[in-house]
Amino acid sequence: MLVIRRRAGESVLIGEGVEVEVLEIAGNQVKIGISAPRDILILRSEVRVTAEQNELAARSMPFASLASLLGKMKQSPQGPQSPGDKA
Amino acid sequence: MSEIDTKYFGRITLDAGSVIEFPQGLPAFEWERAFLAIEHPRTAPLVMLQSVLTPELCFLAIPVADVDPEYELRVCTEDRVALGLDETSDLPTGPDLAVLALVAVRADQQITVNLMSPVVVNRANRRAVQSVRWDGEYSHEYSITGLPARSSVLGQSCW
Repeated sequence: MLVIRRRAGESVLIGEGVEVEVLEIAGNQVKIGISAPRDILILRSEVRVTAEQNELAARSMPFASLASLLGKMKQSPQGPQSPGDKA
Repeated sequence: MSEIDTKYFGRITLDAGSVIEFPQGLPAFEWERAFLAIEHPRTAPLVMLQSVLTPELCFLAIPVADVDPEYELRVCTEDRVALGLDETSDLPTGPDLAVLALVAVRADQQITVNLMSPVVVNRANRRAVQSVRWDGEYSHEYSITGLPARSSVLGQSCW
Protein backbone atom coordinates (compact mmCIF):
# COMPACT_ATOMS: atom_id res chain seq x y z
CA MET A 1 0.00 0.00 0.00
CA LEU A 2 1.25 3.42 -0.92
CA VAL A 3 1.22 5.74 2.07
CA ILE A 4 1.24 9.51 1.56
CA ARG A 5 0.96 12.23 4.18
CA ARG A 6 -1.36 15.10 3.26
CA ARG A 7 -2.68 18.14 5.08
CA ALA A 8 -6.14 19.63 4.76
CA GLY A 9 -6.44 21.34 1.39
CA GLU A 10 -3.88 19.06 -0.26
CA SER A 11 -4.78 16.36 -2.73
CA VAL A 12 -3.52 13.37 -4.66
CA LEU A 13 -4.15 12.43 -8.27
CA ILE A 14 -4.96 8.88 -9.32
CA GLY A 15 -4.68 7.97 -12.98
CA GLU A 16 -6.08 10.33 -15.56
CA GLY A 17 -9.23 11.67 -14.06
CA VAL A 18 -9.39 11.05 -10.32
CA GLU A 19 -8.45 13.60 -7.67
CA VAL A 20 -8.81 12.96 -3.96
CA GLU A 21 -8.60 16.03 -1.75
CA VAL A 22 -8.40 16.16 2.01
CA LEU A 23 -11.00 18.80 2.85
CA GLU A 24 -11.02 18.79 6.61
CA ILE A 25 -9.53 16.91 9.52
CA ALA A 26 -11.49 16.95 12.76
CA GLY A 27 -10.92 14.59 15.65
CA ASN A 28 -10.79 11.05 14.34
CA GLN A 29 -12.57 11.89 11.09
CA VAL A 30 -11.22 13.02 7.77
CA LYS A 31 -13.52 14.64 5.25
CA ILE A 32 -12.37 13.89 1.71
CA GLY A 33 -13.58 15.17 -1.63
CA ILE A 34 -13.33 12.96 -4.70
CA SER A 35 -13.48 14.25 -8.25
CA ALA A 36 -13.81 11.47 -10.80
CA PRO A 37 -15.42 10.74 -14.16
CA ARG A 38 -19.06 9.66 -13.92
CA ASP A 39 -18.33 6.10 -15.01
CA ILE A 40 -16.09 5.42 -12.03
CA LEU A 41 -17.93 3.71 -9.20
CA ILE A 42 -17.14 5.11 -5.76
CA LEU A 43 -18.28 3.12 -2.76
CA ARG A 44 -17.66 3.24 0.94
CA SER A 45 -15.79 0.06 1.77
CA GLU A 46 -18.59 -0.98 4.14
CA VAL A 47 -20.83 -1.61 1.12
CA ARG A 48 -18.32 -4.04 -0.35
CA VAL A 49 -17.93 -5.76 3.02
CA THR A 50 -21.72 -6.04 3.23
CA ALA A 51 -21.88 -7.46 -0.31
CA GLU A 52 -19.32 -10.12 0.65
CA GLN A 53 -21.23 -10.96 3.83
CA ASN A 54 -24.48 -11.21 1.85
CA GLU A 55 -22.88 -13.64 -0.60
CA LEU A 56 -21.74 -15.75 2.32
CA ALA A 57 -25.18 -15.51 3.93
CA ALA A 58 -26.86 -16.63 0.70
CA ARG A 59 -24.86 -19.87 0.47
CA SER A 60 -26.91 -22.98 0.59
CA MET A 61 -27.91 -24.32 3.97
CA PRO A 62 -30.16 -27.39 4.16
CA PHE A 63 -33.16 -27.13 6.44
CA ALA A 64 -31.72 -29.80 8.74
CA SER A 65 -28.73 -27.54 9.36
CA LEU A 66 -31.02 -24.87 10.70
CA ALA A 67 -31.74 -27.02 13.72
CA SER A 68 -28.06 -27.50 14.47
CA LEU A 69 -27.55 -23.79 13.84
CA LEU A 70 -30.15 -23.05 16.46
CA GLY A 71 -28.59 -25.65 18.73
CA LYS A 72 -25.31 -23.80 18.51
CA MET A 73 -27.12 -20.62 19.38
CA LYS A 74 -28.42 -22.42 22.46
CA GLN A 75 -31.97 -21.34 21.90
CA SER A 76 -34.46 -23.24 23.98
CA PRO A 77 -35.91 -26.14 21.97
CA GLN A 78 -39.34 -25.77 20.42
CA GLY A 79 -41.93 -28.52 20.18
CA PRO A 80 -42.55 -30.26 16.88
CA GLN A 81 -44.71 -28.23 14.55
CA SER A 82 -46.14 -28.76 11.14
CA PRO A 83 -43.88 -27.25 8.50
CA GLY A 84 -44.77 -24.64 6.00
CA ASP A 85 -46.82 -22.19 7.96
CA LYS A 86 -46.26 -18.97 6.17
CA ALA A 87 -46.50 -16.09 8.50
CA MET B 1 -52.65 -14.75 -5.62
CA SER B 2 -49.92 -16.80 -7.20
CA GLU B 3 -47.54 -19.48 -6.06
CA ILE B 4 -43.79 -19.40 -5.67
CA ASP B 5 -41.16 -22.03 -5.00
CA THR B 6 -39.17 -21.55 -1.82
CA LYS B 7 -35.88 -22.90 -0.57
CA TYR B 8 -37.17 -24.45 2.65
CA PHE B 9 -40.94 -24.75 2.38
CA GLY B 10 -41.58 -26.03 -1.11
CA ARG B 11 -44.30 -24.30 -3.12
CA ILE B 12 -46.31 -21.76 -1.20
CA THR B 13 -49.12 -19.41 -2.03
CA LEU B 14 -47.96 -15.89 -2.42
CA ASP B 15 -50.20 -13.27 -0.93
CA ALA B 16 -49.20 -10.02 -2.62
CA GLY B 17 -49.89 -8.12 0.59
CA SER B 18 -47.18 -9.99 2.45
CA VAL B 19 -44.34 -9.17 0.06
CA ILE B 20 -41.60 -6.93 1.42
CA GLU B 21 -40.17 -4.58 -1.15
CA PHE B 22 -36.49 -3.64 -1.21
CA PRO B 23 -36.44 -0.66 -3.61
CA GLN B 24 -32.65 -0.94 -4.06
CA GLY B 25 -32.20 -4.65 -3.53
CA LEU B 26 -29.33 -5.62 -1.23
CA PRO B 27 -25.58 -5.22 -1.81
CA ALA B 28 -24.48 -8.04 -4.18
CA PHE B 29 -28.18 -8.75 -4.82
CA GLU B 30 -29.33 -5.45 -6.27
CA TRP B 31 -31.82 -7.13 -8.60
CA GLU B 32 -33.62 -8.91 -5.73
CA ARG B 33 -36.39 -6.47 -4.88
CA ALA B 34 -39.10 -8.66 -3.33
CA PHE B 35 -38.89 -11.00 -0.34
CA LEU B 36 -41.24 -12.85 1.95
CA ALA B 37 -40.51 -12.97 5.67
CA ILE B 38 -41.26 -16.50 6.85
CA GLU B 39 -41.14 -17.64 10.44
CA HIS B 40 -41.34 -21.21 11.59
CA PRO B 41 -41.86 -22.32 15.19
CA ARG B 42 -39.02 -24.84 14.93
CA THR B 43 -36.55 -22.22 13.86
CA ALA B 44 -37.65 -19.29 16.03
CA PRO B 45 -36.36 -16.65 16.46
CA LEU B 46 -34.94 -16.93 12.95
CA VAL B 47 -36.77 -15.11 10.21
CA MET B 48 -36.31 -16.45 6.70
CA LEU B 49 -36.17 -13.85 3.99
CA GLN B 50 -37.22 -15.77 0.91
CA SER B 51 -36.67 -14.16 -2.47
CA VAL B 52 -39.82 -14.03 -4.57
CA LEU B 53 -37.70 -14.04 -7.75
CA THR B 54 -35.15 -16.76 -6.92
CA PRO B 55 -36.38 -19.90 -5.13
CA GLU B 56 -32.91 -20.94 -3.96
CA LEU B 57 -32.20 -17.56 -2.37
CA CYS B 58 -33.34 -17.42 1.22
CA PHE B 59 -31.46 -15.33 3.75
CA LEU B 60 -31.58 -16.30 7.38
CA ALA B 61 -32.07 -13.35 9.67
CA ILE B 62 -32.46 -12.81 13.37
CA PRO B 63 -34.01 -9.82 15.13
CA VAL B 64 -31.17 -7.57 16.20
CA ALA B 65 -32.73 -7.28 19.65
CA ASP B 66 -32.24 -11.03 20.13
CA VAL B 67 -28.52 -10.59 19.56
CA ASP B 68 -27.95 -7.26 21.27
CA PRO B 69 -30.87 -5.85 23.28
CA GLU B 70 -28.95 -2.59 23.58
CA TYR B 71 -28.53 -2.19 19.82
CA GLU B 72 -28.85 1.43 18.82
CA LEU B 73 -30.30 1.78 15.35
CA ARG B 74 -29.04 4.56 13.13
CA VAL B 75 -30.41 4.98 9.62
CA CYS B 76 -28.96 7.46 7.13
CA THR B 77 -31.15 9.95 5.25
CA GLU B 78 -31.08 8.03 1.97
CA ASP B 79 -32.31 4.88 3.64
CA ARG B 80 -35.01 6.75 5.55
CA VAL B 81 -36.30 8.08 2.24
CA ALA B 82 -36.27 4.57 0.76
CA LEU B 83 -38.28 3.38 3.76
CA GLY B 84 -40.76 6.22 3.36
CA LEU B 85 -39.82 7.67 6.73
CA ASP B 86 -39.44 11.25 7.78
CA GLU B 87 -35.88 12.37 7.09
CA THR B 88 -35.35 14.26 10.29
CA SER B 89 -37.66 13.08 13.06
CA ASP B 90 -36.91 10.20 15.39
CA LEU B 91 -37.17 6.68 14.03
CA PRO B 92 -40.40 4.91 14.87
CA THR B 93 -40.01 2.42 17.67
CA GLY B 94 -41.78 -0.75 18.67
CA PRO B 95 -43.52 -2.92 16.10
CA ASP B 96 -43.47 -0.33 13.29
CA LEU B 97 -39.89 -1.15 12.34
CA ALA B 98 -38.45 -4.64 12.16
CA VAL B 99 -34.68 -4.67 12.47
CA LEU B 100 -33.01 -7.89 11.39
CA ALA B 101 -29.41 -9.03 11.09
CA LEU B 102 -28.46 -11.44 8.31
CA VAL B 103 -26.89 -14.68 9.48
CA ALA B 104 -23.80 -16.19 7.83
CA VAL B 105 -22.00 -19.43 8.53
CA ARG B 106 -18.29 -19.04 7.94
CA ALA B 107 -15.97 -21.71 6.59
CA ASP B 108 -14.83 -22.46 10.16
CA GLN B 109 -18.49 -23.06 11.13
CA GLN B 110 -18.63 -19.90 13.22
CA ILE B 111 -22.07 -18.36 12.98
CA THR B 112 -21.99 -14.62 12.60
CA VAL B 113 -24.50 -11.86 12.08
CA ASN B 114 -24.00 -8.58 10.30
CA LEU B 115 -24.81 -5.88 12.83
CA MET B 116 -23.11 -3.27 10.65
CA SER B 117 -25.79 -3.61 7.97
CA PRO B 118 -29.17 -4.43 9.49
CA VAL B 119 -32.18 -5.08 7.31
CA VAL B 120 -34.76 -2.50 8.35
CA VAL B 121 -38.39 -3.15 7.45
CA ASN B 122 -41.08 -0.50 7.71
CA ARG B 123 -44.10 -2.61 8.52
CA ALA B 124 -46.49 0.21 7.70
CA ASN B 125 -45.67 0.20 3.97
CA ARG B 126 -43.69 -3.07 3.74
CA ARG B 127 -40.61 -1.35 2.40
CA ALA B 128 -37.17 -2.45 3.45
CA VAL B 129 -33.53 -1.53 3.05
CA GLN B 130 -30.29 -3.09 4.15
CA SER B 131 -28.98 -0.05 5.92
CA VAL B 132 -25.18 0.02 5.89
CA ARG B 133 -23.73 1.97 8.81
CA TRP B 134 -20.63 4.12 8.35
CA ASP B 135 -19.95 4.79 12.02
CA GLY B 136 -17.93 1.68 12.83
CA GLU B 137 -20.02 1.01 15.93
CA TYR B 138 -21.00 -2.57 15.07
CA SER B 139 -19.30 -5.58 13.53
CA HIS B 140 -20.20 -7.08 10.16
CA GLU B 141 -19.33 -10.51 11.57
CA TYR B 142 -20.53 -10.54 15.14
CA SER B 143 -20.26 -14.11 16.40
CA ILE B 144 -23.43 -15.60 17.85
CA THR B 145 -22.08 -19.10 18.34
CA GLY B 146 -22.93 -19.91 21.93
CA LEU B 147 -25.17 -16.92 22.37
CA PRO B 148 -27.11 -17.36 25.60
CA ALA B 149 -30.80 -18.08 25.17
CA ARG B 150 -32.98 -15.01 25.09
CA SER B 151 -36.68 -14.76 24.79
CA SER B 152 -37.66 -13.89 21.29
CA VAL B 153 -39.31 -10.58 20.59
CA LEU B 154 -41.17 -12.38 17.82
CA GLY B 155 -43.29 -14.54 20.07
CA GLN B 156 -46.16 -14.22 17.69
CA SER B 157 -45.91 -13.65 14.04
CA CYS B 158 -46.35 -10.10 12.93
CA TRP B 159 -45.65 -10.29 9.21
